[in-house]
Amino acid sequence: MIQFDQVTKRYPGSDEILKNVSFSIDAGEFVFVTGHSGAGKSTLLKLIAATERATSGTVLIANQNVSQLKPSVIPYLRRRFGLIFQDHKLLYDRNCFENVILPLRINGVAEQEAAKRVRAALDKVGLLNKEKAMPITLSGGEQQRLAIARAVVSRPSILLADEPTGNLDASYAADIMAIFQSFNQVGVTVIMSTHDALGMSTKQNRVLHLNQGRLSQDLASSFNTNNLQPRETF
Amino acid sequence: MSNLLNHHLQAIKLVLSRMRSNLLSSFMICLVIAVAMCLPSLFYLGVDNLSKLTDQMQNETEISLFLKLDTNTDAIAKIDALLANNPDIRQYHLVTKNEAWKQLQEKSKGNQDISDAISQLGKNPLPDAFFIQAKSADPDSLQALKNTLEQIPGVQHALLNTEWAKRLATLLGLGKKVIFFIALLLTTVLLVIIGNTVRMQILTQKDEIEVSYLIGATNSFIRMPFLYAGILYGFFGSLLAILMMIGMIQTFNYSVSEISHLYSSDFSLTLFNASLYATVITVAVTIGWIGSYFAVTRAINAIKIN
Repeated sequence: MIQFDQVTKRYPGSDEILKNVSFSIDAGEFVFVTGHSGAGKSTLLKLIAATERATSGTVLIANQNVSQLKPSVIPYLRRRFGLIFQDHKLLYDRNCFENVILPLRINGVAEQEAAKRVRAALDKVGLLNKEKAMPITLSGGEQQRLAIARAVVSRPSILLADEPTGNLDASYAADIMAIFQSFNQVGVTVIMSTHDALGMSTKQNRVLHLNQGRLSQDLASSFNTNNLQPRETF
Repeated sequence: MSNLLNHHLQAIKLVLSRMRSNLLSSFMICLVIAVAMCLPSLFYLGVDNLSKLTDQMQNETEISLFLKLDTNTDAIAKIDALLANNPDIRQYHLVTKNEAWKQLQEKSKGNQDISDAISQLGKNPLPDAFFIQAKSADPDSLQALKNTLEQIPGVQHALLNTEWAKRLATLLGLGKKVIFFIALLLTTVLLVIIGNTVRMQILTQKDEIEVSYLIGATNSFIRMPFLYAGILYGFFGSLLAILMMIGMIQTFNYSVSEISHLYSSDFSLTLFNASLYATVITVAVTIGWIGSYFAVTRAINAIKIN
């Protein structure tokens, strides 16, 4: 489903952030991307989400070569992902409901249907009662859960989370992890970067460890959730 | 298809709610557009109405053909026959010296000084005269007709009083050119104003645009609300301009009707000039669209590079 082959990424005027990275991720996996800060975790996720392009090598998403896609097609590729950022990237000028409905607006979902799906997503992350609240009034953990609701509301088959628990204390982080795990259990592929693999219950998950831009470890999971079907197939 | 319609409806709703929440500043922008649209339109209305008036006056111009004082009835009959056969003449009538004399005496009855002066004259100094209306209102052909009529033997003098109308028409032509350039300048100003307004809005909406890109928005989706903002500013601005114009024309018409009453004419400015109003709306909406299109395209490219 996601395949990296000899991928190198260099930003203009910098060293190589990623060097010859190759791996593949199947549908339904739960993968951690670990490494120190600056190891290239965010860049790796950006390459998957097609917000950056590889300097060399090929990135295949659902058998499409991202570097050969026309710019006009890339938005449609991105809609297959749910993106979650460390800094949430919520819009603070509108309430929770309006934040979560944004991807559905982009997809052109009719208003009534969209409202239903927004409430379902808010319910899933435990924020249904905060529908009308402004994001700034929420705690850090709640804001991250709101960001997750926005990421999942369009029912993507892949969730990409860039250090989603980076700024949260342990109990909030555990909440977030539980939410990701529940999505993974219904077949959503989850790719999550973290600099703090030890704090996670990563033993049962696959870990891609980056060290200064190189993939130094690819630990296969001992516990496999692949036997569950993804909700949407490519 | 319904998807696309949804996008458009959502964009319009979004823009209208943004305008509502910034009511005062939206109104200011519309006001600027309205004033800029009003200026050339009023100029145009003025010049257009004046040129209609002068056309009308040129149509009414007569050629007065004064005959020599010693012309006898035979000569008059000859001239009459010549005029009747001239294909350029629509109609004409003869006022003999006696008729003219009577008319003069009638008219001056109210005024003691003039009637005294007339009675002192003793004998009638007036010539026989033909008053001629030509078929064409074109100044050049009128001039040609006047020249031909002057050549007729027995004619003392032909009078064509269109010189001032001609001059006015030339001036009005000049006025139209001035309007064109004023309109051109104001169009440029409007493009810049609307472009800048939309650019400022894009800056305040930068986070939203970035997030939208990340979750799969297409360029046209990002662009749409801003294009509608430009279009709606143009639309509301032109409506305001029309309201302002109607107000001004109404006030004008009060004084104009007084003046034209003095000239015993029923001239007044038309209140509902549909084609002018349609032009104003179309131009404003188009300017809004173009201005915001340039602004949003530039801003989108800048954000994408980031």
